[in-house]
Amino acid sequence: MPMDEIVIVENLVKKFKDVTAVDGISFTIKKGEIFALLGPNGAGKTTTIHIIATLLRPTSGRVFVGKYDVTKDPNKVREKIGIVFQDPSLDNQLTAYDNMYIHGKLYGLRGRELHEKIMKLLEFVDLKEYAYKQVRYFSGGMRRRLEIARSLLHEPELLILDEPTIGLDPQSRAKIWDYIHMLKKEHDMTILLTTHYMDEAEELANRIAIMDHGKIIALGTVEQLKAMLGKDVIYLTLDGNAKEFCEKLIFAKDCNIIGNNRIELLVDNAPRYLPEIFRIALTNGIGIREVSYRRPTLNEVFLHLTGRELRESLEETPSIIQKLPLRWRRSR
Amino acid sequence: MSRDLDALIALIYRQLKRWAVSRSRIISIIIQPLLWIIFLGLGFGTVFSAQNIELSSTINNSTITKYIDPSIIRSILSKYFTAIFGGVDYITFLITGMAAMTAFIGSFISGISVIWDKQFGFLKETLVAPASRKTIILGRIIGDSIINTVQSLIIILLALLITHQINPLGIPIALLYIFMMSLGFTGLGVTISLKFSSMEGFQMIVNLLTMPLMFMSGVFYPINTMPDWMKVIAIMNPLTYCVYGTRYWLAGVKASLGFMNPVTSLIILMLFTAIFATIAMFSFEKTTIED
Repeated sequence: MPMDEIVIVENLVKKFKDVTAVDGISFTIKKGEIFALLGPNGAGKTTTIHIIATLLRPTSGRVFVGKYDVTKDPNKVREKIGIVFQDPSLDNQLTAYDNMYIHGKLYGLRGRELHEKIMKLLEFVDLKEYAYKQVRYFSGGMRRRLEIARSLLHEPELLILDEPTIGLDPQSRAKIWDYIHMLKKEHDMTILLTTHYMDEAEELANRIAIMDHGKIIALGTVEQLKAMLGKDVIYLTLDGNAKEFCEKLIFAKDCNIIGNNRIELLVDNAPRYLPEIFRIALTNGIGIREVSYRRPTLNEVFLHLTGRELRESLEETPSIIQKLPLRWRRSR
Repeated sequence: MSRDLDALIALIYRQLKRWAVSRSRIISIIIQPLLWIIFLGLGFGTVFSAQNIELSSTINNSTITKYIDPSIIRSILSKYFTAIFGGVDYITFLITGMAAMTAFIGSFISGISVIWDKQFGFLKETLVAPASRKTIILGRIIGDSIINTVQSLIIILLALLITHQINPLGIPIALLYIFMMSLGFTGLGVTISLKFSSMEGFQMIVNLLTMPLMFMSGVFYPINTMPDWMKVIAIMNPLTYCVYGTRYWLAGVKASLGFMNPVTSLIILMLFTAIFATIAMFSFEKTTIED
């Protein structure tokens, strides 16, 4: 087993009664990288993280943290990880300091060393002045910061953050991002995070695994994932038959119909192809009412990969038709 | 090993600290036995007192009063009541039982706090800790039992104001019985609570358990005058031995059944505690967040 891989997940499956939450996923996390599990709610991200953190037993498959198997040596694994759960796990009745203190004791820290570490970390997350305030008076952002500080107290080799910025206001969110950047830069911390925010994964992660329905449907760096869509995406609103028009645009890598006469074109170089598109429209008697193009973000990648599910949600909630593109594969 | 001890102390510290900052909890736990003491104690206290019996209306046949002095009747009745309650008046009898009951009710409250921690996440924090789970849950049980014992002590100290039949020297020994009983029932409460995710479900089970256990323990009335079928339940009820021991050391009450004496009662309580604390430790060992 190579030493630079801190987490190894092999064919992991987790079933809850008749629901399969995680359906045979495999990935590895290298030392010093930030690895993101990106996906909608219910994709199986949190379940995966709970298995890595020894809180759930896998139905099948194997998971190693360091060189320890999570089912055989859970205590060894627990020593190596620090985790911030999606839901708060602080004791609201106690002070910030006491929450840290009890955590330190549970991880075998004591005395002066423990006290100094607590104060240093509270300072790191800008909570030093609130050390002796009860947590129940803290805002959501402060709580999350305290939890991050707490998870770092025992100097874990792997930091796990489950939706670290969910439910936070933009300032708190930016602050959390800053801490994560700092941890990476100054301590070369290995971080596994889950998120359903595309921008968060893009901003923080070295590598991203996109999850949907318990499976990893794509894995790579942001650049690699975006490369799936080529360089540019062109959006057109048409007067006329969108499907037929799509078939005429043979230079496009992919052509998807999104909503009423709107199409999404994947091309290598949008500025060069735009005149071509107008020419084809003119010769076929199709009017173009609106045109725009942009560089693909993870958002486009995600819709590209999970179109099937989005179509289902469209049928149930027609009010979001404008936002969620309905797509067909271009038939060549 | 030293880390496990640290974890044990950390959890005891946590339970005590939480208790110290939640004044409402302290008050509500003490109010309930006080209400029992006031309403049951003062209410029945006068019923079971020879001084308040209106003899002339009870014995209107003047031939009896002609030969026997009413004060003799009073004194016989008075002896009868004291004998029933093992040598003390009813309010002393009740208060000494209440001291045990306060800790008993408190034991199940700590089960509620486990469910609370499940819902508010602190349980997960202890589940991902590398410290032994057995010591984590044991720390919790010990911490809560210390709290329960302190609450009982408060009731006993209040009792000193109400009745003069309590021997202050017996208090430390009585508290030992109460602490033992509390460890056992907290273990039971925690074990049950680990199986429940909702407050309502747990509360239902607890109500089904506490009411019969309370009435079949001799808190409110002596066990030796109970119907036979009730005596059988009382003998199987661990709380009975705590109530007996507490009463014995606080007020010298010896109302007992067969083999019960201060020593056997303590041994039985210790066995009960050992069994239920162990069950709690093993069930926490196997806990995942699935339940």
